Amino acid sequence: MRATHRWVLLACLMLLSSCDQNQQVTDSQLTLMKKTNPSPIVTQKNKSKDQIKDIEQDVSSFPELYDVAVVEGKKDTLVVYKVKHLYRFKMKKIEKNINKMLERKYPDENFTISSDYKIFLETVRLDEKMKSSKYTGKKAEKRFNEIVKMTKELK
Amino acid sequence: MATSKQKNMTPQQRNYQQLQQKHEIKRPVLKNCIKAFFVGGIICVIGQAISYFYIYYFDFTEQSVGNPTVATMVFLSMLLTGFGVYDRLGQFAGAGSAVPVTGFGNAVISAAIEHRTEGFVLGVGGNMFKLAGSVILFGVFSAFVVALIKTLLVIWGVL
Repeated sequence: MRATHRWVLLACLMLLSSCDQNQQVTDSQLTLMKKTNPSPIVTQKNKSKDQIKDIEQDVSSFPELYDVAVVEGKKDTLVVYKVKHLYRFKMKKIEKNINKMLERKYPDENFTISSDYKIFLETVRLDEKMKSSKYTGKKAEKRFNEIVKMTKELK
Repeated sequence: MATSKQKNMTPQQRNYQQLQQKHEIKRPVLKNCIKAFFVGGIICVIGQAISYFYIYYFDFTEQSVGNPTVATMVFLSMLLTGFGVYDRLGQFAGAGSAVPVTGFGNAVISAAIEHRTEGFVLGVGGNMFKLAGSVILFGVFSAFVVALIKTLLVIWGVL
C-alpha cells in the first residue's frame, strides 16, 4: 500500500470515528454555525421577562440581523446579535441604529450592545447553565458582569 | 517598447524568436488559478477553524482572535516547511500557498534552511529575513499609509 493511500485511509477512519449518533449536541456547540435564537435571559430568577421579550422582538425586526440574544442583569441589559454576511460591511451603522432605537424606546435601561461571536457564544452558554437548578442567580449575575466586561475590552 | 526592440533585431534574432515561441510550453494559467483558488481557500478554512477553536476554548473575542490564529498558522507553515511538505504544496498551488500568511512562515524558514551551512550568525541570522524582510517593510509602510489616511478621514469627519 502506498504511503498516500495509507494517509487517506487514516483520515477517512478519523472522520468516520467522529460521527457518533448518540452524542448530544448542545446549542452552544453550534452557535457559531447556525441560528440558535436563545430565549431572553434574566439573571434574577424572579424578575418578569415581558420587557426583555419586547426588546428582543424590536431588535429582531432589523432586516440585517438573523440571531438575537438579550440578557438582563441588575444594572445593564446586554443585546447581542449576528449580522447577515453581506451586511457585515455596515456593522458600525447597524450598531448605531440599534443603539438609537433602544435609547429612544427604553430610556431607563442601560444597554450594552455587541455583534461579537464570542459574546454571543457566552450568552448561549449562560442560557444553558441557567436551565440547571444548581446555577444560582448570583452566579449568573457574576458571569453576566464578566461578559459585559469582555465587550468593554473590545472598544 | 517591445515593438521598438523587435525593429532593432537582426533577421537571425527574429527567426530565433519565432522558433522559440513555437517550442515554448504554454503556461496553464486557468488551471494554475483554479489550483491557487482552492488551496488558498482551504488554508483560509483551516485558519477560520483555528480561530473558532480559540473562541470556543479560550477567552478570545472575534476581534482579538486574529493574533493567536496568525501565530498558529505561521508556526504550522514553519513546521511544514521544515518537514518539506510546504515546498510540494507551493509547487502545486503557487500563489495559493504564498499569498496567505502561511507563505510568510515558509519564506522565513526556507531562507534559514538554505543558508544554514554558512553558520548560525551570518548564515541563518543574516539571511533569514532575506525574502520576508520585504514583506515586513512594505507591510509596515502600507499600514502606516492606511493609518494616515484613516486619521485624516476621521479628522475631516468623513468616517
